[in-house]
Amino acid sequence: MSALSEPPTMAFLCRADLQLSAGKLAVQCAHAAIGSLKQAKKTHSRMVQRWQETASRKICLAVDDEEDLMYFLGLVEEASLPHSLIQDAGLTEVAPGTRTVLGVGPAPRHTMDHLFSELKTYD
Amino acid sequence: MGLRSFIHRLTAPKPLTNVSLAENLKMIFIVNHELKMGKGKIAAQVAHAAVKATLACGERNPALLDAWFKTGQKKICVKGDSAKHLGELSNEAKEKGILANKIHDAGHTQIPAGSFTVLALGPCRDEDIEEITGDLKLL
Repeated sequence: MSALSEPPTMAFLCRADLQLSAGKLAVQCAHAAIGSLKQAKKTHSRMVQRWQETASRKICLAVDDEEDLMYFLGLVEEASLPHSLIQDAGLTEVAPGTRTVLGVGPAPRHTMDHLFSELKTYD
Repeated sequence: MGLRSFIHRLTAPKPLTNVSLAENLKMIFIVNHELKMGKGKIAAQVAHAAVKATLACGERNPALLDAWFKTGQKKICVKGDSAKHLGELSNEAKEKGILANKIHDAGHTQIPAGSFTVLALGPCRDEDIEEITGDLKLL
Protein backbone atom coordinates (compact mmCIF):
# COMPACT_ATOMS: atom_id res chain seq x y z
CA MET A 1 0.00 0.00 0.00
CA SER A 2 1.39 3.41 -0.86
CA ALA A 3 1.64 6.08 1.79
CA LEU A 4 -1.09 8.12 0.14
CA SER A 5 -3.68 5.38 0.21
CA GLU A 6 -3.32 5.01 3.96
CA PRO A 7 -5.85 6.92 6.03
CA PRO A 8 -4.45 9.83 8.07
CA THR A 9 -4.53 9.16 11.78
CA MET A 10 -4.96 11.05 15.01
CA ALA A 11 -3.20 9.60 18.03
CA PHE A 12 -3.79 10.12 21.74
CA LEU A 13 -0.82 9.47 24.00
CA CYS A 14 -2.28 8.64 27.39
CA ARG A 15 -0.37 8.39 30.66
CA ALA A 16 -0.76 4.88 31.98
CA ASP A 17 0.64 5.79 35.42
CA LEU A 18 -2.37 7.98 36.27
CA GLN A 19 -4.75 5.00 36.10
CA LEU A 20 -7.63 7.21 35.01
CA SER A 21 -11.16 5.81 34.92
CA ALA A 22 -12.60 5.06 31.49
CA GLY A 23 -14.84 8.11 31.54
CA LYS A 24 -12.12 10.49 32.66
CA LEU A 25 -9.71 9.19 30.03
CA ALA A 26 -12.37 9.46 27.33
CA VAL A 27 -13.07 13.09 28.19
CA GLN A 28 -9.37 13.94 28.18
CA CYS A 29 -9.03 12.38 24.73
CA ALA A 30 -12.09 14.28 23.52
CA HIS A 31 -10.44 17.52 24.69
CA ALA A 32 -7.24 16.54 22.90
CA ALA A 33 -9.10 15.65 19.70
CA ILE A 34 -10.80 19.04 19.50
CA GLY A 35 -7.63 20.90 20.49
CA SER A 36 -5.44 19.19 17.95
CA LEU A 37 -8.07 19.48 15.23
CA LYS A 38 -8.41 23.22 15.83
CA GLN A 39 -4.69 23.67 15.38
CA ALA A 40 -4.51 21.35 12.39
CA LYS A 41 -7.26 23.27 10.61
CA LYS A 42 -5.01 26.32 10.59
CA THR A 43 -1.76 24.67 9.58
CA HIS A 44 -2.64 21.36 7.90
CA SER A 45 -6.07 21.96 6.36
CA ARG A 46 -5.64 19.49 3.50
CA MET A 47 -4.66 16.74 5.89
CA VAL A 48 -7.76 17.48 7.99
CA GLN A 49 -9.94 17.28 4.90
CA ARG A 50 -8.46 13.94 3.89
CA TRP A 51 -8.81 12.66 7.44
CA GLN A 52 -12.48 13.56 7.51
CA GLU A 53 -13.12 12.03 4.09
CA THR A 54 -11.60 8.75 5.22
CA ALA A 55 -12.47 7.07 8.49
CA SER A 56 -11.18 9.86 10.81
CA ARG A 57 -8.95 7.15 12.23
CA LYS A 58 -8.08 7.59 15.89
CA ILE A 59 -5.91 5.51 18.15
CA CYS A 60 -5.08 5.51 21.86
CA LEU A 61 -1.49 4.74 22.82
CA ALA A 62 -0.03 4.28 26.29
CA VAL A 63 2.98 6.19 27.61
CA ASP A 64 4.51 5.29 30.99
CA ASP A 65 4.59 8.64 32.79
CA GLU A 66 4.92 12.41 32.42
CA GLU A 67 8.59 12.22 31.42
CA ASP A 68 7.70 9.85 28.61
CA LEU A 69 4.86 12.13 27.54
CA MET A 70 7.18 15.13 27.37
CA TYR A 71 9.73 13.13 25.40
CA PHE A 72 7.14 12.40 22.73
CA LEU A 73 5.93 16.01 22.82
CA GLY A 74 9.49 16.94 21.84
CA LEU A 75 9.44 14.52 18.90
CA VAL A 76 6.07 15.79 17.74
CA GLU A 77 7.18 19.43 17.91
CA GLU A 78 10.33 18.59 16.00
CA ALA A 79 8.23 16.97 13.29
CA SER A 80 5.96 20.07 13.18
CA LEU A 81 2.82 18.02 13.61
CA PRO A 82 -0.36 19.61 14.95
CA HIS A 83 -0.84 18.64 18.58
CA SER A 84 -2.57 19.53 21.82
CA LEU A 85 -1.29 18.80 25.31
CA ILE A 86 -4.11 18.50 27.81
CA GLN A 87 -3.60 19.77 31.33
CA ASP A 88 -6.41 18.84 33.61
CA ALA A 89 -8.22 21.41 35.73
CA GLY A 90 -7.91 18.88 38.54
CA LEU A 91 -11.49 18.90 39.80
CA THR A 92 -11.58 15.10 39.97
CA GLU A 93 -9.12 12.19 40.15
CA VAL A 94 -5.87 14.13 39.53
CA ALA A 95 -4.10 17.25 40.85
CA PRO A 96 -4.71 20.58 39.07
CA GLY A 97 -2.36 21.09 36.11
CA THR A 98 -1.61 17.41 35.65
CA ARG A 99 -0.64 16.68 32.07
CA THR A 100 -2.83 13.78 31.07
CA VAL A 101 -3.03 13.29 27.31
CA LEU A 102 -1.20 14.47 24.20
CA GLY A 103 -3.31 14.55 21.03
CA VAL A 104 -1.36 14.43 17.77
CA GLY A 105 -2.53 14.85 14.20
CA PRO A 106 -4.27 14.17 11.96
CA ALA A 107 -1.06 13.18 10.23
CA PRO A 108 -0.04 10.49 7.73
CA ARG A 109 -0.24 7.06 9.23
CA HIS A 110 3.32 6.14 8.30
CA THR A 111 4.62 9.25 10.12
CA MET A 112 2.73 8.21 13.24
CA ASP A 113 3.90 4.61 12.98
CA HIS A 114 7.44 5.83 12.68
CA LEU A 115 7.29 8.26 15.62
CA PHE A 116 5.38 6.01 17.97
CA SER A 117 6.59 2.57 16.88
CA GLU A 118 7.62 1.61 20.43
CA LEU A 119 4.27 2.46 22.02
CA LYS A 120 1.52 -0.06 22.72
CA THR A 121 -2.17 0.63 22.33
CA TYR A 122 -3.89 1.67 25.55
CA ASP A 123 -6.27 -0.97 26.85
CA MET B 1 -39.83 27.66 -0.02
CA GLY B 2 -41.52 24.27 -0.40
CA LEU B 3 -44.47 23.25 1.74
CA ARG B 4 -42.46 20.71 3.67
CA SER B 5 -39.65 23.06 4.58
CA PHE B 6 -42.22 25.69 5.51
CA ILE B 7 -43.93 23.30 7.90
CA HIS B 8 -40.58 22.23 9.23
CA ARG B 9 -39.66 25.81 9.96
CA LEU B 10 -42.86 26.24 11.98
CA THR B 11 -42.62 23.02 13.94
CA ALA B 12 -38.89 22.42 14.38
CA PRO B 13 -37.56 23.11 17.86
CA LYS B 14 -35.78 26.43 18.11
CA PRO B 15 -32.07 26.07 18.70
CA LEU B 16 -30.53 28.06 21.53
CA THR B 17 -29.60 31.42 20.11
CA ASN B 18 -29.08 33.83 22.96
CA VAL B 19 -26.49 32.09 25.01
CA SER B 20 -24.79 33.96 27.80
CA LEU B 21 -21.40 33.05 29.21
CA ALA B 22 -22.87 32.66 32.66
CA GLU B 23 -24.72 29.60 31.51
CA ASN B 24 -23.63 26.14 32.56
CA LEU B 25 -23.02 24.45 29.25
CA LYS B 26 -21.84 20.92 28.76
CA MET B 27 -21.46 18.14 26.28
CA ILE B 28 -22.44 14.67 27.40
CA PHE B 29 -21.21 11.38 26.04
CA ILE B 30 -23.31 8.30 26.68
CA VAL B 31 -21.25 5.17 26.18
CA ASN B 32 -22.92 1.90 25.23
CA HIS B 33 -21.89 -0.21 28.20
CA GLU B 34 -23.27 -3.43 26.72
CA LEU B 35 -20.34 -3.61 24.28
CA LYS B 36 -17.65 -4.08 26.94
CA MET B 37 -15.08 -1.95 25.11
CA GLY B 38 -11.60 -1.36 26.53
CA LYS B 39 -10.65 2.04 27.95
CA GLY B 40 -8.61 3.03 24.90
CA LYS B 41 -11.40 2.01 22.57
CA ILE B 42 -13.95 4.01 24.55
CA ALA B 43 -11.67 7.04 24.53
CA ALA B 44 -11.27 6.91 20.73
CA GLN B 45 -15.03 6.53 20.24
CA VAL B 46 -15.76 9.45 22.55
CA ALA B 47 -13.19 11.53 20.68
CA HIS B 48 -15.02 10.70 17.44
CA ALA B 49 -18.25 11.82 19.05
CA ALA B 50 -16.70 15.04 20.36
CA VAL B 51 -15.39 16.01 16.94
CA LYS B 52 -18.67 15.17 15.23
CA ALA B 53 -20.75 17.07 17.79
CA THR B 54 -18.44 20.09 17.66
CA LEU B 55 -18.57 20.31 13.88
CA ALA B 56 -22.34 19.84 13.85
CA CYS B 57 -22.82 22.57 16.45
CA GLY B 58 -20.51 24.87 14.50
CA GLU B 59 -22.85 24.56 11.54
CA ARG B 60 -26.16 24.78 13.37
CA ASN B 61 -25.44 27.15 16.21
CA PRO B 62 -22.01 28.84 16.19
CA ALA B 63 -22.94 31.16 19.09
CA LEU B 64 -23.63 28.19 21.33
CA LEU B 65 -20.38 26.51 20.32
CA ASP B 66 -18.47 29.67 21.03
CA ALA B 67 -20.02 30.05 24.47
CA TRP B 68 -19.22 26.43 25.27
CA PHE B 69 -15.58 26.93 24.25
CA LYS B 70 -15.31 30.07 26.35
CA THR B 71 -16.71 28.39 29.43
CA GLY B 72 -14.09 25.65 29.40
CA GLN B 73 -15.81 23.16 27.07
CA LYS B 74 -17.12 20.97 29.85
CA LYS B 75 -17.54 17.33 28.92
CA ILE B 76 -18.83 14.40 30.89
CA CYS B 77 -19.05 10.71 30.22
CA VAL B 78 -21.89 8.48 31.45
CA LYS B 79 -23.00 4.88 31.03
CA GLY B 80 -25.88 3.79 28.79
CA ASP B 81 -27.36 0.27 28.93
CA SER B 82 -27.66 -0.68 25.28
CA ALA B 83 -27.98 0.55 21.70
CA LYS B 84 -31.75 0.73 22.21
CA HIS B 85 -31.33 2.86 25.34
CA LEU B 86 -28.98 5.25 23.49
CA GLY B 87 -31.49 5.52 20.66
CA GLU B 88 -34.28 6.48 23.06
CA LEU B 89 -32.13 9.12 24.73
CA SER B 90 -31.24 10.52 21.32
CA ASN B 91 -34.93 10.89 20.43
CA GLU B 92 -35.76 12.56 23.74
CA ALA B 93 -32.91 15.03 23.25
CA LYS B 94 -33.94 15.85 19.70
CA GLU B 95 -37.49 16.57 20.85
CA LYS B 96 -36.08 19.20 23.18
CA GLY B 97 -33.97 20.71 20.42
CA ILE B 98 -30.69 19.38 21.80
CA LEU B 99 -28.11 18.26 19.26
CA ALA B 100 -27.66 14.50 19.22
CA ASN B 101 -24.87 12.77 17.32
CA LYS B 102 -24.51 9.01 17.06
CA ILE B 103 -21.26 7.17 16.54
CA HIS B 104 -21.23 3.77 14.88
CA ASP B 105 -18.00 1.84 14.83
CA ALA B 106 -16.38 0.59 11.64
CA GLY B 107 -15.57 -2.60 13.54
CA HIS B 108 -11.86 -2.88 12.84
CA THR B 109 -11.11 -3.84 16.43
CA GLN B 110 -12.84 -5.36 19.47
CA ILE B 111 -16.52 -5.12 18.39
CA PRO B 112 -18.76 -5.97 15.40
CA ALA B 113 -19.00 -3.46 12.53
CA GLY B 114 -21.82 -0.97 12.80
CA SER B 115 -22.16 -1.17 16.60
CA PHE B 116 -23.73 1.93 18.12
CA THR B 117 -20.94 2.91 20.52
CA VAL B 118 -21.46 6.48 21.73
CA LEU B 119 -24.18 9.11 21.72
CA ALA B 120 -23.06 12.73 22.09
CA LEU B 121 -25.62 15.25 23.36
CA GLY B 122 -25.09 18.99 23.33
CA PRO B 123 -23.45 21.31 24.03
CA CYS B 124 -26.51 22.43 25.94
CA ARG B 125 -27.60 23.90 29.27
CA ASP B 126 -27.23 21.75 32.37
CA GLU B 127 -30.86 22.13 33.31
CA ASP B 128 -32.11 21.20 29.85
CA ILE B 129 -30.23 17.92 29.80
CA GLU B 130 -30.70 17.02 33.48
CA GLU B 131 -34.13 15.48 32.83
CA ILE B 132 -32.77 13.16 30.16
CA THR B 133 -29.44 12.04 31.56
CA GLY B 134 -29.72 13.01 35.24
CA ASP B 135 -30.02 9.46 36.54
CA LEU B 136 -27.28 7.91 34.42
CA LYS B 137 -24.12 6.82 36.23
CA LEU B 138 -20.74 8.39 35.56
CA LEU B 139 -18.39 6.16 33.62
